[in-house]
Amino acid sequence: MTIAPKAPRKLSMKDRYSALTRDLEWDPSYVSTEEMFPFTSFEGIKIHDWSKWEDPFRLTVDAYAKYQAEKDKRLYAVLDGFAQSQGHLSLTDASYLNAMKLFLQGVSPLEYQAHRNFAYLSRHLNGPGPRFASLCQSLDEIRHAQTEIHTLSNYNKYYAGFHSYLHMHDRVWYLSVPKSFFDDALSAGPFEFLIAIGFSFEYLLTNLLFVPFMSGASFNGDLPTMTFGFSAQSDESRHMTLGLEAIKFLLEQDPDNVPIVQHWINKWFWRGYRVTALVAAMLDYMLPRKVMSWKEAFELYFEQQMLGGLFQDLAYYGIEPPKHVDKAIQEKEWLSHQAYWILYQFSHAAAFTTTTPNDEAREWFAEMYPESWPIIKTLWEKEDQNLANGGRHFIRGLPQLCQVCQIPMGFTEMDDPLKIAQRSVIFEGERYNFCSDGCQYIFEHEPVKFRQAWLPVHQIYQGNCGAADLPGVLQWYGMQPGDGGEYLGSVDNENWKTWHAQADHNELGED
Amino acid sequence: MQFELRTQVIQPQRKTFQHLIDRYGDRPASRYEEGTIDLQATANYHFRPLWGPEKEIYSPDYSVLKLTDAYAFTDPRQYYYAPYVTARADMHEAFGSTLSYLEKRGMFERLPGQWRSLFAQVTLPLRHYEAAGQMINSHAARFGWGTTITQCAAYAAFDRVGNAQILSRAGISFAGGTAESLAEAKALWLDDEAFQGLRKLMEETLVQRDWGIGLVTLDVVDQLLYAVFFTHLDDAAIGAGAGSFSLVASHLTDWFNDQRRWVDALYKAWVQDQELGAANAAELSGIVSAALSAGEAALAPIAAKADEFVGADCAGALTAAVASVRDKFTALGIKES
Repeated sequence: MTIAPKAPRKLSMKDRYSALTRDLEWDPSYVSTEEMFPFTSFEGIKIHDWSKWEDPFRLTVDAYAKYQAEKDKRLYAVLDGFAQSQGHLSLTDASYLNAMKLFLQGVSPLEYQAHRNFAYLSRHLNGPGPRFASLCQSLDEIRHAQTEIHTLSNYNKYYAGFHSYLHMHDRVWYLSVPKSFFDDALSAGPFEFLIAIGFSFEYLLTNLLFVPFMSGASFNGDLPTMTFGFSAQSDESRHMTLGLEAIKFLLEQDPDNVPIVQHWINKWFWRGYRVTALVAAMLDYMLPRKVMSWKEAFELYFEQQMLGGLFQDLAYYGIEPPKHVDKAIQEKEWLSHQAYWILYQFSHAAAFTTTTPNDEAREWFAEMYPESWPIIKTLWEKEDQNLANGGRHFIRGLPQLCQVCQIPMGFTEMDDPLKIAQRSVIFEGERYNFCSDGCQYIFEHEPVKFRQAWLPVHQIYQGNCGAADLPGVLQWYGMQPGDGGEYLGSVDNENWKTWHAQADHNELGED
Repeated sequence: MQFELRTQVIQPQRKTFQHLIDRYGDRPASRYEEGTIDLQATANYHFRPLWGPEKEIYSPDYSVLKLTDAYAFTDPRQYYYAPYVTARADMHEAFGSTLSYLEKRGMFERLPGQWRSLFAQVTLPLRHYEAAGQMINSHAARFGWGTTITQCAAYAAFDRVGNAQILSRAGISFAGGTAESLAEAKALWLDDEAFQGLRKLMEETLVQRDWGIGLVTLDVVDQLLYAVFFTHLDDAAIGAGAGSFSLVASHLTDWFNDQRRWVDALYKAWVQDQELGAANAAELSGIVSAALSAGEAALAPIAAKADEFVGADCAGALTAAVASVRDKFTALGIKES
C-alpha cells in the first residue's frame, strides 16, 4: 500500500508573519548570550521565555511603508494648502499659538528621544518579537518629531517663540521639566524604559498628554495640527498595544517582576503626571476656545479609563494603582491654576506669553472649578488691581525648583490650599527639596541618580548659563524680542491686529 | 491666460528656524533640513545612563570615528520619514509585482535544477545575514552622534528587515506557500560548514559596542556579498536561463545601490574632515583591512558552494570584488594597514 504524499500545508497568517519576522532570529553560538544582550540583566527582571511575547500587531515592512506613505501624502497636502492660503489668519486668536509653542519646545524633542531609544530596544532586547515592534515604533517616533516640526514650521515664519525650540529645550527652565523626564527614561535600563515610555507615557497618560493639544487645535482653527493628530492616531494605537503587551509580558514571566514593575508604575505615573501640569495650564488657560477643563480631562482619561478600567485588569497580576494617585485626584481642582500662576509670573523668562483670564474665561472657571475658583479668583483680582495701577506682576528673583520634577515650588498642600507644599531629604550631607510626596518618594529610591539633575536655577547660580543677570541668561536661552512676557501688546498680538485690520479694509494682495 | 487670484500677502518674520539660519543663512530651509539638522541634544544631559555611566546619554565617544561637525555629513538622498517610506513603498510594490508574476507563470518551478539548489541553499540563508544587519544598524541609530547619521542608520535598519522579508517571501513562494525552504535555509545558516564563517563574523560584529566599527564592518562585507551573490549571480542567471533568480536578485541590487549613496558619502565626510580626517583615515584603514580579510574568508566557502551548484565562478568574482573594494578605499585615502 502506498500513501499519497500530503499536499504541503500553506502557512496561516500568524505563521507567515512569524516566518517573516521572529523566525529570522537565531541563538548565537560564537558569542555568549550575555555578550549579545548586555543590558537586560542588571535591572533584576527575569524573562524565562521570550517567545511568549504576543505580537501586538502584525505589520510587515511592505505594508508599513505603503500605509505610512499614504498617510504622509495626505498630511503634507493639508500643510501645503494651509500655508499657501495664509490659514494661520483663521485661528481663533494669535494667543492660541502659545499652546503650540509649548508643544514644539516641550513635546517634539521628546518624540525624537523616543525614536532614538526605541532603536536601542530594537537592538538590545533579547526577543525578536519585541525588537521588531520597537523598530516600527522607533520609525513612528521620528515621523512624529518631523511631522510636528513641519506642521508648526509655517507658524514659525510669522510668530514669535517657535524659532529656537531645540536650543531652548536643552536650556530653558520650564523645558527642563520634560527634558529631565525623558533623560530619566533614556538613562534607565531597557525594561524600565518600556514601562516608563511604552506603558506609562504611551498608554497610561497618553490621552492626558496628547489629546488636549490636538483637541485644542481642532477647537481653535488649527487645521494642520488637528490633521497631524488624526494622522498620528493609528501609530499611537499601535504604541498603546505595545505598551500593554510589554507590561503583561513582564508580569507573566516571573512573580519576582511584580514588585519591580509596581515601583516603576509608581515612579512613572508621578513623573508623567507632573509633566502634565504644563498641559493642564495650557488646556485651561491658553486656549481661546475651551475644549474641556483639566479636571474633566483627568476624570475621563485617568480616573474612568485607567483607574476604572486598566487597573481593574492589572489587579489580576497583583498590580495596584500607582502610589500617590490619591494626591493627583485631590489636586485636579488646583493643578492647572497653580501651574499657570507659576508660568504667568515667570513668562518674561519664557518663550510663550501669558495674560489674565478674561471675563468669559472666569465665568467658565467658576462653573468648572466650584471648589478652587473662589480662592484662585482672588489672585487674579489682585492682579487686575496691579494692572489698573500700571504694574503687571512678574517675579524678578529665581524660584526654588523641585529636585525631581524641576517645577518651581508652587504647589500647595491639598488639605491647605494656601500653604506651599515643601518636602526635603538630607542625602550624604546635602539637602534636596521636593514639591510633593510623589517626587520625594522617587528621589528616595534613586538618590544617586536624582542628585545629578541639571537644575536650571542652580546652573544659573553656578555661572553655567551665560551670565549672572536676567538679560544675559535670556540671551543664552536664545530668546528674541516678543517671545515672552504679557500677551496683550506683544509682537504677536500687534501683528495679529494689523493683519486682520488689513483684511477688514480689503487691502488685499499685490499686483 | 492666467487668472489673477488675490491673496493677502504677509511678510514673514523669518524664513526658517534659528539653528538653520545660523548654519545656512537666512534662506528657506528644506523639509529634510528642518526635520533633521541639530535634532539630537548635545548639551545639559540630566543623568548618566544606569547601563553605562562612563558616558553621557549621547556622546561622540561611542565610536572612534568622529566628525568635528556631525552635520557636515548629510544624506545625499535627503530622506526624512515621508520620502523614505514613499521610496520604500514603491520598492516593495515593485517586488510584489515581480513575485506575483513569478507565481503566476510558475517561474520558480521552471528554474533549472542547479539554480533551484543555489537559491534554496545559498541565497535564502542570507535572510539571517540581513537580520544581523538590522541590529547592527539599530545600534548605530541609538549610539551614533548627530541626526543625519543616525537617521540613515535607522532607515537602513528597517531596510534590512525589508530585505530579509523579500528573501523570505520569495522563499515561501518557492516552497509552494510553505515555510519548508525557510526552515531548511535556517538549518544551513546554523550548522552548514559553509555559513559558519559568515555567521561567526556577524555575531562578532553584533557585539561590537563601537557603532562606527560595526557599521563599517557590515558595509565592507555587504560590498563583497552583494557584488558576488546578487550582482554577479544575477548576470550569470540571465546567461543560464534562470530568469526568476535574476528578477529576485535585481531588487536587492537596486536596494544596495540606494544604500551605497549614504554610506559612501559618510566615508567621504569622515576622511575629509578638516581636523579629524587623518585620524579617521588611520582608524578606517585598520577597520577596513580587518573587515576585508574577515569578509573574504567568511564568504569564500559560500562562493565555493555556489560554484558547486552553478559553476558561475563566484570564487573569481569574490577575488575581483575584494580588489575593487580595496581600490575604492585606497582612492578615498584609506590604505590597508
